[in-house]
Amino acid sequence: MIAIPTRADRVATSPLGRANPLATLAVALAWLLALSTTTDLRPPLLVTAVAVAAALALGRVPPADLARGLAPLWLAALSVGFFNALLSPANADPTATVVLAFGPIHLTEPALAAGVALGLRVVAIVAVGVAWGRVTDPTHLTDALVQQGRLPERFAYGALAALQAIPWLAEDLVALREARRMRGLRASWHPRVLVGLLVLAIRRGDRLAVAMDARGFAAPGRTRYREVRWAMLDTLVVMAGLAVLAGIVALR
Amino acid sequence: MPAVAGVSFDLAPGACLVVAGPSGSGKSTLARAIAGLVPWAAPGRLGGDLRLDGRPVGSTEPAALVARIGVVFQDPSSQLVMERAEDDVAFGLEGRGWLSPAMRARVPAALAEAGLAGFERRRTARLSGGEQQRLALAGAFAPQPGLLVLDEPTANLDPPGALAFAERLAAVRETRATTIVLVEHRADLAWPLADLVLALSADGTPLALGTPAELLARHRPALVAAGIWLPDEPPPPAAAIVRPAPRTQPLPAPPAPPLAEVRDVDFAFERGIPVLAGLDLAIEPGDRLVLLGPNGSGKSTAARLLVGLLRPNRGTVRVAGRDPARIAPRELARLAGYVTQDPERSFLAGTVEADLLLGLTPDERARAGDVATALGLALDRFGARNPFTLSGGEQRRLSLASQLVRRPGLLVLDEPTFGQDRRGYEDLLSLVRARVEAGTAVVAATHDLRFAADLGGRVVRLAAGRIAEDAP
Repeated sequence: MIAIPTRADRVATSPLGRANPLATLAVALAWLLALSTTTDLRPPLLVTAVAVAAALALGRVPPADLARGLAPLWLAALSVGFFNALLSPANADPTATVVLAFGPIHLTEPALAAGVALGLRVVAIVAVGVAWGRVTDPTHLTDALVQQGRLPERFAYGALAALQAIPWLAEDLVALREARRMRGLRASWHPRVLVGLLVLAIRRGDRLAVAMDARGFAAPGRTRYREVRWAMLDTLVVMAGLAVLAGIVALR
Repeated sequence: MPAVAGVSFDLAPGACLVVAGPSGSGKSTLARAIAGLVPWAAPGRLGGDLRLDGRPVGSTEPAALVARIGVVFQDPSSQLVMERAEDDVAFGLEGRGWLSPAMRARVPAALAEAGLAGFERRRTARLSGGEQQRLALAGAFAPQPGLLVLDEPTANLDPPGALAFAERLAAVRETRATTIVLVEHRADLAWPLADLVLALSADGTPLALGTPAELLARHRPALVAAGIWLPDEPPPPAAAIVRPAPRTQPLPAPPAPPLAEVRDVDFAFERGIPVLAGLDLAIEPGDRLVLLGPNGSGKSTAARLLVGLLRPNRGTVRVAGRDPARIAPRELARLAGYVTQDPERSFLAGTVEADLLLGLTPDERARAGDVATALGLALDRFGARNPFTLSGGEQRRLSLASQLVRRPGLLVLDEPTFGQDRRGYEDLLSLVRARVEAGTAVVAATHDLRFAADLGGRVVRLAAGRIAEDAP
């Protein structure tokens, strides 16, 4: 049988996919931290552009995938920006230029600027998060968290197994709704469906825990199938990430 | 009340014990205890003296106990831990302290031995039921354990897969390096491997213990009475599948459109990965149609399309001349019944009785008790039980009962005979036959050639989503 390279494999073999997830995580966190210290318009725009470009070029994330991840972002950014502008105390300032007046509602220039800046920051934060999420394989991240991050194995791999169970949860939901339909009941969001979902999830969790223990999960002296090391590439990723950030901050 | 009581046996290194017993006799519970998982990992209390490798289970460090044991549980999907097949096989090796180069060599070999060569990077959640079972087996075999505990390991496998697995187990037994405890209803596959057979009775007490020959010579009537399958009644080969017996009652003339019809249907869950292509089926009242085919050939998908739970990408599906996906649930449930492969996901209430009665009309309620009794789930005994605490075979019969009680004109069954003891099987078969006599059309997707032969009727063989053979 010929193994067909999947979308995830293309990402996994890309420079950012091969990098230690803790390196990319460090860069992402540095960017997010820097964003929270600025109210300028330019840094969030640049960070967004760099994050998207890096995910596409260095992470080989398919553009359609990235677009899907970013889809809810626009609504969030618009609503955060809009309401912050509308409810800003700057609107009450009689000396400020009024951009828009509609009955009792006044929208002043400083308030609008603050709203736009906030909206752009939301855009940047979500873009960095989505880009990091798309180039990071959960198994790779867990391995790195355990091996370099010194996270307890029981917690890390338990959480990873729980993450694997999320698609099952979706399938359980489909199956339960199908079961309702085949009993002549509406397949809607009946509370019983949710109770059933919970029961199935708990049972699956129990079984998974027993299966993990039966395969020696609790045993001391656990070895590693995937060794995650800190390589040149990772240092390079961190340095490049910080350099880009320094450049963006300097430009302002 | 104990699930299993008074069981005693000694198993020599490298020997093979087969555990047989009717559904609900505590076979799975016993398997967990033998695997050293009770009480520290699996719930329960253990009395008496259980020693593994000469060490008493109660006073041994759990990690040391499981280090030399490989277990495969009944439901393969809830024992796969990692996202990808190779990581999942490696998971058990990591826990047993294998070094990385040894793991790199062993993982592909273990996958190939289980018939999953080239599956290293496949996502475990996307595998078919049979493939998941193979992966669970690969994970248990990979560390080359001293004791293998297998609970119904062939339940989800297609007939060639089950046969290949039995041959592999025979080879393992030949080396006498691994002790095997095998819980299996397929006596024709399991008993030839056995040095010892432990037969349990319905209340979890031992019925007989001995070599297969001893049991057959001395205890045959007791085993048959307990509903235990025996090895000298092998499922008939595919060639022996018989034509339907002549009807004892004339049927009403078929209406102009067939009862159910699938026309040129294509279906894919993900674009570019077709599950079914160009499927054509026509089903008349009283028809019996058996869908056979290897794991992942699209049988379950065809079953779900037929009752409108999925909609085709191309082509049409009609039940009583209408698109079943657009028929209101109340009406559809009387036109068509569907028994899923995974009964746990079809339970909608906290007790057997409440689950069975859910959504029924007064007429249907009146006969619910009889249907349950006919399937060995008499409500005075089982009615107050939680469906999740039933054994695998009982769960499957409950999900069948809750569909049969509406007497739908089309009954679609997905693997109805998994985990059934002989009595459960016979109850199920006679009830389905009675419905066929009354004019119900039955479509069964199955790996069970015995059921295919006993049901009779038309055989449609699927291969890679297409009809490979349609034999009347």
